[in-house]
Amino acid sequence: MFNILWSLFYVLIFPGALFTVAVGLLLAGIDRKVVARMQHRIGPPIRQPLYDFLKLIGKETIIPKAANKLAFLGAPFVGFVSLALIMLFIPIFGFTAFSTSADMIVILYLITIPGVALIVGGSSSGSPYAGIGISREMVTMMAYELPFVLVLLTVAKKAGGVSLAFSMDAIANWQAANGSMLFQWAMIPAAIAMLLVIPAEVGTQPFDVAEAETEICEGPLVEYSGAPLGLFKLNSAMKMFVMSALFVSLFLGGIRTGFILIDAIIFVVLCIIVTVLCMSTIHAISARLKIEHLFKFYWTFVAGLAMASLILVWCGL
Amino acid sequence: MLKELLNKSSMKSPWIYHINSGSCNGCDIELVAVLTPRYDAERFGFKLTGTPRHADIVVVSGPITSQSKERLVRTLAQVPEPKCVVSLGSCPKSGNVFKGSYSVEAPLDNYVHVDVSVAGCTPKPEAIMEGLYKAAQILQEKREAMNK
Repeated sequence: MFNILWSLFYVLIFPGALFTVAVGLLLAGIDRKVVARMQHRIGPPIRQPLYDFLKLIGKETIIPKAANKLAFLGAPFVGFVSLALIMLFIPIFGFTAFSTSADMIVILYLITIPGVALIVGGSSSGSPYAGIGISREMVTMMAYELPFVLVLLTVAKKAGGVSLAFSMDAIANWQAANGSMLFQWAMIPAAIAMLLVIPAEVGTQPFDVAEAETEICEGPLVEYSGAPLGLFKLNSAMKMFVMSALFVSLFLGGIRTGFILIDAIIFVVLCIIVTVLCMSTIHAISARLKIEHLFKFYWTFVAGLAMASLILVWCGL
Repeated sequence: MLKELLNKSSMKSPWIYHINSGSCNGCDIELVAVLTPRYDAERFGFKLTGTPRHADIVVVSGPITSQSKERLVRTLAQVPEPKCVVSLGSCPKSGNVFKGSYSVEAPLDNYVHVDVSVAGCTPKPEAIMEGLYKAAQILQEKREAMNK
């Protein structure tokens, strides 16, 4: 009984749904503020994503006649649930809610689900703009998935030695013993590759080809309004946190104070730094790429960096 | 309390959708100027969206040509409630210099209820900002009326 209550607490409050939503909205707000300051604007207040979400909850929800109602309304919920679940497997330095021997694989699968939910929701809306959007979303997913898997393999090899360590806990323990992954020079190309994977996964400015609002009317989201749209916006904010949390626990782990609260605060601060570094900065200085350029960039430059790191680690460096 | 938050947030995050119904592009440029670093409407939460489904405030510019009239009415019908309609410039308000032309069906309020009119040819960005801010306030009133 007590165990079930603890599990519910993990899933619903910390580090599951509520924590992810809160920090996700904070990161999205900071992202918008930092981009605005970099463009010499004042920018919206940091709580702006919360206002956006609440406003969308209060709006009318229109379901188009051509849409498949179940898939159209269900898709954002599926994305939300999978994103809240990922945080259970990512260690906050010493603390992991659920740890298994191969949770990295679970994370890898769960992290594709929000993208798939976007594709399902978009394709069920019956709009041609959504059609173009989902085809672009699929290409984007294929583009960043390869370097992402290579990075995860590299980290697993580095932490596990001969037998790959697919457990996030094992990686956290390795970093506690040997210092952060980022300070191993063979891991630096992989870290840069991971930093470049994050904006594509989240879908921020130069890599937001799927949701290009000026050319294809926000792609898969074109027919969404009201609460489901709010959930999708919330999903992308949560994705920001989940991806930066993954980076922090893969490359910047190893800090252990023993107090879960202090650990969590340091963790969130590191996540903010990662977000500003790899999302806001790139957003502020670049314009949207074409889909073929995005694909080429990920399969040559980013995958090359990850591969270089993998080879270095495999050679025992 | 949740209701209050919902009401407040509807004023704090008004998303704009812009329809050009045969405008000369002058007002459109001024509307974009409102979003640039000099005036920065985003500090009030204004954001330009790409689809009418996401919009709270619909900004209409241009004298409503016969070709665009039907599309304009259909697009306005796609915006979810609560919504606000802002007419930008003198054209949608009166027809401006195109008044009386065979291809212009000018006053916008023949087809839809207009909440705020920003007159001028072209209106200054400051005037547009004030109009949009008023529209956001009307949006909150409409949201409050929906609760009752």
